[in-house]
Amino acid sequence: MSGVNFFGIRHLSPAGGFFLEKYLDEIRPECVLIEAPCDFEDVLSDIVRSETKPPFAILAYTKEPPVRTILYPFAEYSPEYRAILWAHKNGVPVRFTDLPSETFLALGEAKSEEDKIPEENREPNVYEKLDIQSGEGSHETFWERALEHCADFSGYHDGSNLFGAEIRSFSSKNDEDFAELQLREVFMRSRLRKAAVEFSPEKIVVVTGSYHVEGLKNWEEAETLPEFPKTESLHTLMPYSYYRLSTCSGYGAGNKAPAYYELIWNGLERGEPLYAANAYLTKIAAFQRENGFAASSAQVIEALRLACSLAKMRGGEIPVLRDLRDAAETCLGEGSFAAISTATADTEIGTKIGELPEGVSRTSIQDDFYRELKELKLEKYRTVTAQDVKLDLRENRRASSEKSAFLDLNRSFFLHKLRMLDIGFAEKRAVQQDGATWAEMWTLRWTPEAEIRLVESALRGDTVELAASFALKERVENAAAMSDIAEVIENAFLCGMSAALQYAVSALQATAVDAVSFEELAKTAFRLSNIIGYGDIRKVDNSALEPILKQIYYRACLILPNTCVCDDAAAKPIAEAVNMLNSAELSRDFLDTEYWLNALSEVARRDDLNTVLSGFAAAILLERSKITNEELKIEVSRRLSKGVPAELGAGWFEGLTMKNRYGLIARLSLWESVDEYINSLDDEEFKRALVFLRRAFADFSAAEKDSIAENLGEIWGLNGAEVSEVVNAELDTASQEQIAALDDFDFDF
Amino acid sequence: MEQQILRLPAEKLFEEELNALIKAEKDPIPAGWRMSPRSVKTYICGGKVGKTVITPKYIGHERLVEIAIATLVTDRALLLIGEPGTAKSWLSEHLTAAINGDSSRVIQGTAGTTEEQIRYSWNYAMLIANGPSETAMLKSPVFTAMEDGAIARVEEISRCASEVQDTLISLLSEKRVSVPELNMEVPAKKGFSIIATANTRDKGVNDMSAALKRRFNIVVLPSPETLDAEMEIVRTRVSQLSEGLSLNAALPKDAVIEKVCTIFRELRRGETLDKKQKVKAPSGVLSTAEAISLLCNSMALAGSFGSGDITDEDIAAGLQGAVVKDEQSDKIAWKEYLENVMKKRGSSWSGLYKACRELNE
Repeated sequence: MSGVNFFGIRHLSPAGGFFLEKYLDEIRPECVLIEAPCDFEDVLSDIVRSETKPPFAILAYTKEPPVRTILYPFAEYSPEYRAILWAHKNGVPVRFTDLPSETFLALGEAKSEEDKIPEENREPNVYEKLDIQSGEGSHETFWERALEHCADFSGYHDGSNLFGAEIRSFSSKNDEDFAELQLREVFMRSRLRKAAVEFSPEKIVVVTGSYHVEGLKNWEEAETLPEFPKTESLHTLMPYSYYRLSTCSGYGAGNKAPAYYELIWNGLERGEPLYAANAYLTKIAAFQRENGFAASSAQVIEALRLACSLAKMRGGEIPVLRDLRDAAETCLGEGSFAAISTATADTEIGTKIGELPEGVSRTSIQDDFYRELKELKLEKYRTVTAQDVKLDLRENRRASSEKSAFLDLNRSFFLHKLRMLDIGFAEKRAVQQDGATWAEMWTLRWTPEAEIRLVESALRGDTVELAASFALKERVENAAAMSDIAEVIENAFLCGMSAALQYAVSALQATAVDAVSFEELAKTAFRLSNIIGYGDIRKVDNSALEPILKQIYYRACLILPNTCVCDDAAAKPIAEAVNMLNSAELSRDFLDTEYWLNALSEVARRDDLNTVLSGFAAAILLERSKITNEELKIEVSRRLSKGVPAELGAGWFEGLTMKNRYGLIARLSLWESVDEYINSLDDEEFKRALVFLRRAFADFSAAEKDSIAENLGEIWGLNGAEVSEVVNAELDTASQEQIAALDDFDFDF
Repeated sequence: MEQQILRLPAEKLFEEELNALIKAEKDPIPAGWRMSPRSVKTYICGGKVGKTVITPKYIGHERLVEIAIATLVTDRALLLIGEPGTAKSWLSEHLTAAINGDSSRVIQGTAGTTEEQIRYSWNYAMLIANGPSETAMLKSPVFTAMEDGAIARVEEISRCASEVQDTLISLLSEKRVSVPELNMEVPAKKGFSIIATANTRDKGVNDMSAALKRRFNIVVLPSPETLDAEMEIVRTRVSQLSEGLSLNAALPKDAVIEKVCTIFRELRRGETLDKKQKVKAPSGVLSTAEAISLLCNSMALAGSFGSGDITDEDIAAGLQGAVVKDEQSDKIAWKEYLENVMKKRGSSWSGLYKACRELNE
């Protein structure tokens, strides 16, 4: 043995953290070497400050776009974090041993997308092989079952080192990251030699991924270091969240169930091996009860027994997460995972967010933000006084470069993205000129709060663009109604983000199946049609909207007739929606006109629907010249015939006059039919009809009434002006009394 | 004699495999069991013991089988839930065959099942002649399972009336039957348990009370996982059925089976197979069993009124009946599916699309 003490760990392994502390207490080293980029050593003093609360991460990012980042997250139970704390408490220096972050970033750059072997041709890497071989479905479960619940130190220490050695022996030279791993180990050995000059090897503890233990053992042999590529980079501490931890997959970078692993950590500290299992199931039950589902203690006990017997079938004593989740599904969810899915997410992932002392963070999103400001020539607006910016999104043809030709468009994209992140730097104002899709007005004002919001946005992504796309996705997931998603689509479009647009469109497609209300569909269709109406002014590919609009449109056409079974109060918003869909249909050629006209004709024709809507449908058909004068005349006399209750006839007439009034007024035949109808009524019937017809004509303007009067005059052979005078005159007292008397009219006969 | 039996019980049919597993047993065996939980899993999911190949009895979700077996180890009762045709009874039969070597302790639940059939009843001639005694008792399968420390099966538990279901509640929690007439109590031996099966979406089933459900560990058996698996099931069953029914028509081509299975799977799951598009699911179950009967029907149509080859029109007629169960909403869902999904599938689907479309004009 070389004398140096190696402790192989797995990142974010609670048992590793726990046993490492014990190990350090036993060895009492004079120096602790930890596997992390060596240029990160300067943040150590911030990590050990008492205001620093995990989870946090060290973030390194390239100075130049495209921004690439590497991330070293730490949870309370991370072995590396425990080691740092131990060293701080005992006044022992900590050294980081891995390649500097600038080299990591440069290596990542070299691995461009084209070099990557496509998914299907790639040989499975060692972890994927383990996924299959272990029979557990995932190597994480295998690791947890094998090592996370070790009863004692030597079990973990030896097991972990053995695991690393085995993984190493199964790794092949053809693995994608093999060369990088070799490079890292060369560097780590050199760091080890350097430390051994200062401290005696027996007093050094090396904390490293278990994979590397074998590779570092022969550290004493001198070797020449190769040239390491470098790219300019910066790094910072940033607050992290359990949620972010759980979304980063892959060894080292993340952990699918950070909150559950914290339970394991708590159990280790308490010395209760079954603590995590108990706590996990109890928490799920508590969550279910809080949310109004039944979950008894008996069920928790049964779930625990089942989990234990599942563990036993695998030869273990303590259930692992997979056993616990399956047991919870069976006993608490009555066999359906959907019933407990929210509870498991809450228990496994949790909502914990880390904290850092003020002023420590300098995240990549902040950098990205300032770079964008400079690039878009917006720096001068970064003041506390509000200033207006007017944008013209059209191409500036006199500009020398493409970049400056679309400067305003890019500004608009950027400001819309900030709006999505609620950064509060830019506020959008209404534009004077109506319908000018190419103009935008913004008010910009910088505040300290904006800076804080920006740091918070770091949790959503590394650049403004990435964070905005994350925010849009969040909005899609939280959308309650279909038109909310349509709004996200519009926003994604305004931000110039095609991928987010695509994502929202598929989400919209998914809800479009369940949305039942015609109004919702029509509103959404209208919105989508408007976005398409922007054309290519924003240079965003919106071709994806066409099929979804078609689908929504078709569905709306199908359900329109049944929607029209409603009372008059509900008819108003539906009429508006019908109007919206009509204008969407008119402005988009690719929508099949026939579906819409068929739906409208059905509504116009049927007698069992709301008559206002039937009339309105007829009005649209009339406007689109799908009803001839002759047909209209027949329909008017049918709707207004003597046997039809007056309120229905007048309701229909009201609907008919809701649209396209001038067209109606100009049709003499229509007024002839109305005249005929009124003449056919006897006194009682006339009184009834009068009430409703008055309502139908209530919102006609004087000029419109004039024109009608002219028509009537022509029919009766009178002078139009005379008739108009009568029609528009204030009612005399006698008439008013007569009409007032109608209020008491008994309508139920 | 044996040739005349339509269907042998599982423990007879797979006797060799079971014996091989018992012989090769290395792991600890729970009380009342014939083999270890691990061997039971091998028996159900397939594998190899020495030279004997164990055929898989249940293909697909091995983890579900593990959960089912682990449940029985803990003396909890097991409830298998699923849509019609998801191999619930099949699994329960094989579990008991492996664990006890006896799958015959069955109560077949119906709306007419009584409490006595679950507990015990009397041989009335003996009861009247000699008065109550143990010899005059007619013990139910559950009763004998308790005495022997074995597993009893209750099929279609949700079809039993609620008071009959209630009988099981106290049996399962106290693990003993009391016989007040003889002033005695029969405690269950170690190894006793119950496997019940129930349908989720069907007519004529009673809801199970929370109290009863709580006494079971519930495992939901899903529909076939992949299109290929479902097609295989449909293909074999259709050819078996059509032989017996002599339908005078050619067996459906693979392309036809694929189309029907695709439509069924997409409507059942509410999304297209490539997961790119959601579709509205109609009210019906659309089980694999229905796909089978649809194809048999189409064969009957083709054989009796057509050329003997299944045409798109035959399939369209069958689909219409299978999908549109509730006139209004199902029809809209089906029409939407036709327009948004099927129409865009290209030329190989256009014949079927047109035939379906015609029925919905």
